[in-house]
Amino acid sequence: MEFKVQLGPQHPALHEPISIRMTLDGEVIRDADLRLGYNHRGVEKLAESRSFIQNLYLTERICGICSFSHQTCYTQGVEKLMELVPARRGLYIRTLVCELERVHSHLLWLGVAGQEAGFESFFMYTWRDREVVMDILDWISGNRVHYSMNTFGGVRRDIDEMQRKKILDTLDLLKQRTDYYLNLAASEPTFVGRLAGVGKLSRQQAIDLCAVGPTLRASGVPMDVRKDDPYAVYDEIPFEVSTADSCDVLGRAVVRVKELIQSYRIIEFLLKNLPEGPFKVKAPRKVKPNEVYSRYEAPRGENVHYIKSNGSDKPERLKVRAPTLANYPATIAMLKNGFIADIPLIFAAIDPCICCAERLVQLDDGRGRGRVLRFSELRAMANERAKKIDYTKREIAWPF
Amino acid sequence: MSLRIAPFLPELLRSLFKKPVTVRYPFEKTPVPAGFRGNVVFDPAKCIGCNICVGDCPAEAIEIIRVSETEKKFKMILHNDRCIHCAQCVDSCPTKTYRMDGEFEIAVLNRRQLKIEYK
Ligand code: SF4
Ligand code: SF4
Repeated sequence: MEFKVQLGPQHPALHEPISIRMTLDGEVIRDADLRLGYNHRGVEKLAESRSFIQNLYLTERICGICSFSHQTCYTQGVEKLMELVPARRGLYIRTLVCELERVHSHLLWLGVAGQEAGFESFFMYTWRDREVVMDILDWISGNRVHYSMNTFGGVRRDIDEMQRKKILDTLDLLKQRTDYYLNLAASEPTFVGRLAGVGKLSRQQAIDLCAVGPTLRASGVPMDVRKDDPYAVYDEIPFEVSTADSCDVLGRAVVRVKELIQSYRIIEFLLKNLPEGPFKVKAPRKVKPNEVYSRYEAPRGENVHYIKSNGSDKPERLKVRAPTLANYPATIAMLKNGFIADIPLIFAAIDPCICCAERLVQLDDGRGRGRVLRFSELRAMANERAKKIDYTKREIAWPF
Repeated sequence: MSLRIAPFLPELLRSLFKKPVTVRYPFEKTPVPAGFRGNVVFDPAKCIGCNICVGDCPAEAIEIIRVSETEKKFKMILHNDRCIHCAQCVDSCPTKTYRMDGEFEIAVLNRRQLKIEYK
């Protein structure tokens, strides 16, 4: 007999609101359907009313973990629109922060995977070691989460000789710990037993369903924007694209640990070859009418920003496609024919950042008939609402 | 690689005798880094009233008000409840009127207290 069960949008196993409608046969999931839209924040609409500079800090706040990914993707897009060549030292520092962010994000993910697999001490240790890289980021950017390092034409802060040395020193500790995790991930029977064979996604499925990032690479497809379409200074850096062939959650864990090791290599290269010179160049305020499609390899996969300018100092349109959104179709395929108990693990394995992926507005009339709002309808609704706002009250402090 | 029985055990035992890595905040505080972005501090003597900072602040947290009809004198109202501590104002100001201090314990019970006037 088959049941239909809904999981979420609020559920302790999911860290952010998303709902899964499942058709169950006993404990086996026969069919799954994802429902999004519980955390729509209107970032894209807000971006249209802010200047390019203000949007630097808005795009950064799309995600709390890969904040630098979104900001860099946006910055690189706008630099292309401005036809601006950023300072070389600035690009090196930018790439350095990109890789440091990847390190902290993957260590965070390892901890989450450990926790979902019931291996709590692993979670504690990885998160302890993650503090090391968080401290480095704090130290070179001034904050732990939102680094605000990018600006058009380079970065906002230089790094000095002392910082360079200190990062190189602490890298040894991180390397040592990561080697230990790689050994552990491959030899601890409980961990391997829990992750192996869960959430299968074949190579062909991964390609057909347009999976991105470690999810795709764990199915044996060596695709990485850093190699395929190099941005910043990635074309000068020696590194390898990490892959695994096991097509399961264990493979995704191994890919991430291997990527950590590659990231240390990249960081070392960047710090040892840091060019002299200015770290930023002056950027214009207004941008000529044009459009651009900017790609970036975030820790979770390919991140895409589409930016359209109209000659003013504000973008006409900003479209964000976060990597999590690209991984949803693959997640459904992974859930099918799996067990209910594997849902948290499979979900955690794509490293979801659900709020970042919320874009589409879909209304449900409560009778099961979904309806997609057209953009023109949305705009009419927004205008209608805007008429009712009392702008004279804008300066009044918010009631609390 | 072959599977082993409890490869985690040595690490576990070693950690048993170490002191905790967590800091006992608020009794102990870790120092903030030199470039920490804390509160915005404004120096009224330097401001020339060009309003660039007002336009660049992503959170619309800054108000620059002229205080004298004859002299070029300005005061600044910082809505610190809106400020996102990005330091764009520090970068944007042509006369280096702003700096950021190292304060991070700025939580209050009433957000109105976060409206700060510099003159
Ligand atoms: S730090 Fe950023 S948000 Fe705060 S006042 Fe300055 S520009 Fe505005
Ligand atoms: S940018 Fe500087 S000089 Fe201009 S109004 Fe702001 S504080 Fe004053």
